[in-house]
Amino acid sequence: MTRLQSSFTPDASKDGGTLLSVRDVAKHYPIRSGALQRVVGQVRAVDGVSFDIRRGETLGLVGESGCGKTTLGRLVSGLIAPTSGQTYYDLDSSSLAALDAAQTLPEAERHAALAAINAAHGIETMPIEAKNRFRRNCQMVFQDSFSSLNPRHLVIDLVGRPLRVHKEASGSDLTERVVELLEQVGLGRQHLYRYPHQFSGGQRQRISIARALALDPELIILDEPTSALDVSVQAQILNLLNDLQAERNLAYLFVTHDLSVVEHMADRIVTMYLGKVVEAGPTRSIFDASAHPYTRALMAAKLDLGPAGAASENKAVLDGAVPDPARPPRGCRFHTRCPVATAQCGWEIDDIVRILERHEALCDTLTDVTRESDFAGTLVFEDADAAQKMAAVLASEAVPQPFRDALELAETTGTKLRVRFRQAEDIKLTRRGPDHLAACVLG
Amino acid sequence: MTDASSPLRRPSLPRETALRVRMRRSGELAVKILSNPTTIFGFVIILLMLSMALFAPWLTTPNAPDPYQMPRDWGALRMPPGTPNHPLGTTNTGGDVLYGIIWGSRTSLQLSIIVVSVTVVIGTAIGSIAGMVGGKIDEILMRIVDVFLSIPELIFALAIAAILGPSFTNIILSLCLVFWVKYARIMRAQIILVKQNDYVDAARIMGDSRLNIYFRDILPNAATPVIVQATLDMGAIVLIGATLSFIGLAESGIAEWGVLVSEGQAGIASGRWWASTFPGLMIFLWALAFNLVGDGLRDALDPRTEGR
Repeated sequence: MTRLQSSFTPDASKDGGTLLSVRDVAKHYPIRSGALQRVVGQVRAVDGVSFDIRRGETLGLVGESGCGKTTLGRLVSGLIAPTSGQTYYDLDSSSLAALDAAQTLPEAERHAALAAINAAHGIETMPIEAKNRFRRNCQMVFQDSFSSLNPRHLVIDLVGRPLRVHKEASGSDLTERVVELLEQVGLGRQHLYRYPHQFSGGQRQRISIARALALDPELIILDEPTSALDVSVQAQILNLLNDLQAERNLAYLFVTHDLSVVEHMADRIVTMYLGKVVEAGPTRSIFDASAHPYTRALMAAKLDLGPAGAASENKAVLDGAVPDPARPPRGCRFHTRCPVATAQCGWEIDDIVRILERHEALCDTLTDVTRESDFAGTLVFEDADAAQKMAAVLASEAVPQPFRDALELAETTGTKLRVRFRQAEDIKLTRRGPDHLAACVLG
Repeated sequence: MTDASSPLRRPSLPRETALRVRMRRSGELAVKILSNPTTIFGFVIILLMLSMALFAPWLTTPNAPDPYQMPRDWGALRMPPGTPNHPLGTTNTGGDVLYGIIWGSRTSLQLSIIVVSVTVVIGTAIGSIAGMVGGKIDEILMRIVDVFLSIPELIFALAIAAILGPSFTNIILSLCLVFWVKYARIMRAQIILVKQNDYVDAARIMGDSRLNIYFRDILPNAATPVIVQATLDMGAIVLIGATLSFIGLAESGIAEWGVLVSEGQAGIASGRWWASTFPGLMIFLWALAFNLVGDGLRDALDPRTEGR
């Protein structure tokens, strides 16, 4: 691990430069309902994410299930098109600087400023030759090796297919190239004419890796490549990936929920929660001094596997479910589950609804909610009694202390309960150390 | 030197080639399909029917000028089975029942092969377009399919054949217009299922064309249920074709099993059972055989038992 830790910022241009720049990428899926299939909302699977992948590095992308990390992996590879934002391939440092300068411009000017960069480097907008070059240089290894290998194709066809598609080899030349690739992943000539079902899970994942290597790419997106494997086989695959990286100067985008794997593999880590990046930084710095309570909670969950006692005090850190990504919480998206939340974290009307769900009797008596904003509104109950009860609940121990601190106003008039919370903006990523960014109001 | 695992003693394997492996796999599949006795039974019946159709000109003297028209022996009306020159008897109008059965197998084969191949091609194409393109086009195509599916096959085919006028060609035409719907449905559902596999994404990531992905990844993995359904329909179509010609939608006098059953039924009450029974038996055997083989194929090609 002598490789230099690289930076999230464009000014620190060393270590071979930036390979891929993801800028403000979002993917929203419409929720349709009713006979006319009208769009009634958006699931914000990925909601404005930016980061760079540098040549030869491993970037770990971690988060819980449903946080959007797999979607992000597919966005980066160009398999699905983003709702907004774009991924840029192979930017030189001056274009990268121009790109980041453009992000701060107002909407109208930004389009003009980005036009040239979009046309030349944006993977959705680049010309066909550039797109082909990107296709060759960005490959992917999937989690499920059963589903990622066509069951009707022989290994030679599976691994040799990228070479055929890009007209790199054919005939006996192709066979030799495939054998070479198989040998690099620990398989051999004797496996050429077999079907995927004749292999074990670990071997199938090796075939997937050989296929991804065929075009000698610069980047491989690894979407939970080991989570379907036994622990011992996992280690073999991870070591293989590390060896290949050292040999070929590959960059990896390693998508996983497993922090111990990421600690072993990644140079830098990006933590995602509900479609947003909450923390990003060099692996060591994240593991030694993580600045976001969500990352700390993930690491506490990881320690649970270790000797009993070490993590017992952190055990209950992540309670509750991930909120609905169609209505992500305001402010910091983690505030509903955060153990160290404060009054500034963006408490809002929706948090009352989340509390109401725990008090079913009150929930049934709620007849209407009128919102002035996300932070102020009026709740209408069936009778004055219920409104009084609700006001009492909101002031009691039943709700978290920071919630009560953020609640500036809760007055009942008859059946109505007027509430107002402290205003809060979305929490931005701020610098916490060299290359280390976190989105949290706490220092 | 007796250690079998020693690398020096490893026997040299015959040189493998992709072709050899694929042929071996097809062989294994054939063995698997034929390992079921009822499937073999169905296969044998089909083979017998096929050879009957193939050797028809040698088994009987073809009627001139059109061998597909029943020959008339006006001197031997309503003869029972066992009559010289008419081993299975004759019809009301002196048609030889055996001749009708033998040349009827050609008619039936023609009917089922034409209808099945035309409908499989149409259905696969429409189902593939719907499944691959999706969106509005999928919606429109599937609503058209729904309209077709809401009318029973037999009634719909009957209506079309009646409008086109009574002839055997029109029966073929009407069945082609009706039967593609099922295949379109099956194909669309299969394609949507297969499309979700990661190997489709892997092919897209390596930059392969949509057409290549369709023909190399999606179609081969989606085709099995269509093949099974087509085999079952080889039998079902003869059954429905016979029903239509029984009702009188084919030309009378044609060597066709349904027509023969229809012509013979008037005599059943007076004890002349043979003119309807023998062709009826043929229809039954034909449908049974293809059903048995279709079921055998379904079991052998079941994706849950097939090596993935």
